[in-house]
Amino acid sequence: MTRDMKISLTFPKQAYAVFFALVLSLVRGVAYSNEIGIALEAPMAILAFTFCADTYTQEIVSRRSEIWRLCPMKKRIHCIYRRIAVQELFLLTVAAVSYGLFFLFQNPITYGIMENGSESEMCRFFVYLATMAVTLGFWGILSNLISCLFRNMWVGIGGCLVLWTITNSILGDRIFGAWNLFSYSFRNLEDSSDFSWIYGKVVCICIGILAMAALPAIIRKRG
Amino acid sequence: MGMKIEDLTVTFRNKVTAVNHADLEIPKGVFGLLGENGAGKTTLMRVLTTVLSPTSGRVTLDGILYTEKNYEKIRQKIGYLPQEIDLYPGLSVQECLEYMGDLSCIPRQVCKERISYYLEKTNLSEQRGKKMKQLSGGMKRRVGLIQALLNDPEFLIVDEPTTGLDPEERIRIRNLLVDFSEGRTVLFSTHVVEDLAATCNQLAVMKHGKFLYAGNMKELLEQARGHVWICKTKEGGTVRELEKKYHVSSKQYTGEELQLKLISETQPQVECSPCEATLEDAYIYIANKER
Repeated sequence: MTRDMKISLTFPKQAYAVFFALVLSLVRGVAYSNEIGIALEAPMAILAFTFCADTYTQEIVSRRSEIWRLCPMKKRIHCIYRRIAVQELFLLTVAAVSYGLFFLFQNPITYGIMENGSESEMCRFFVYLATMAVTLGFWGILSNLISCLFRNMWVGIGGCLVLWTITNSILGDRIFGAWNLFSYSFRNLEDSSDFSWIYGKVVCICIGILAMAALPAIIRKRG
Repeated sequence: MGMKIEDLTVTFRNKVTAVNHADLEIPKGVFGLLGENGAGKTTLMRVLTTVLSPTSGRVTLDGILYTEKNYEKIRQKIGYLPQEIDLYPGLSVQECLEYMGDLSCIPRQVCKERISYYLEKTNLSEQRGKKMKQLSGGMKRRVGLIQALLNDPEFLIVDEPTTGLDPEERIRIRNLLVDFSEGRTVLFSTHVVEDLAATCNQLAVMKHGKFLYAGNMKELLEQARGHVWICKTKEGGTVRELEKKYHVSSKQYTGEELQLKLISETQPQVECSPCEATLEDAYIYIANKER
């Protein structure tokens, strides 16, 4: 696991992720605390798909993939999954810290069901964290899958960017509604009891599982 | 049993045929593979390591036929050092080799023992804690070779293993390969003819995807016997004329005169004397026989 961390979480990657989160929390204005999740979800998705695109393709670029081919398939796949997990955990930590940074820099108005608002704020944070885990996981896995399919990380990033642009738009919201990949960002903030946005996250989970299942076949075929 | 290649052809999508109806038998021991750039050596090795599927033909390793179904079984028997490889720059030598060993399912303790043994053999023991990115090109090459040896392969394929090594290290690596080849097969591809002369008894010469020669080194030298000539001249005009007409395998100033080694089917039409052919001369002779 430590070696996978050293391989897939290089210093430049860590630095740009932290820098990205820092800048975002400084420049993206939010008035209320329930807007923080909206402010973070889509940008963090970009971070996830750029981050994970080279999970395996770095083996191709460095010409290690020819040696990888000689290793048992199970080991290779486990190794890729481990690397994705390491990166996703790091990004989730960045996402959690970013949430705190918004409070620090933007001082948003908090309100909740409880009088002091503390409980609902915590609850809101955990919902955000769970949502981010799904969002980051989905975009990271998808970007790695497309990169492996085309043996090129830029195709992975480009493909995800196209999907991101479509789904993170008014058009995407109109077409997919509650089933949109960014349903959490497009949710009705006025109605806190409306959890229909979860459908979109279920779609993310389903596609993510399918992508994970398809990975061994792609690695076997494309090397 | 070794490796058997029958009527192997590899044609790429752009219609380039890198290996053209090649037949070869690779017995146990160190087997040399010699050829000019673009001869098809690397393509052949990529087929033998199952990285590339041939367009047609048959390959067997110890009687196991190269098919999708058998790839997993074949891969366990193979160690491979590609021509170019950039091992994990952020890991130390020890970590990198342990990682590769873990990927190959080598038990941790066995892997550590083998790493220590080969680091010692390749004179890299003191570098084990250094990061890969801090190593010189020659050192990286040696680490690459160790990773190929880690799973104790029955069939080792090394593509230019001595590139970037100083003379002493080259000898060390050559000796390591010879020691390793006991009871195993080592396919040694290189441009450095003297590396082959020092390590193998059997070799194949490749050109335009075909084998021009495959067999014993002595027989190859025998074929070149009587086709290598030494001549001395002082005139620049004569040198240019000789270079146009014949293959010059070496040029050397001996005092005032220039000594040329010519490769020719018949005796050159200048004052010259026959001389003993080296492997390099024999390779030039075989590779350019049609000229």
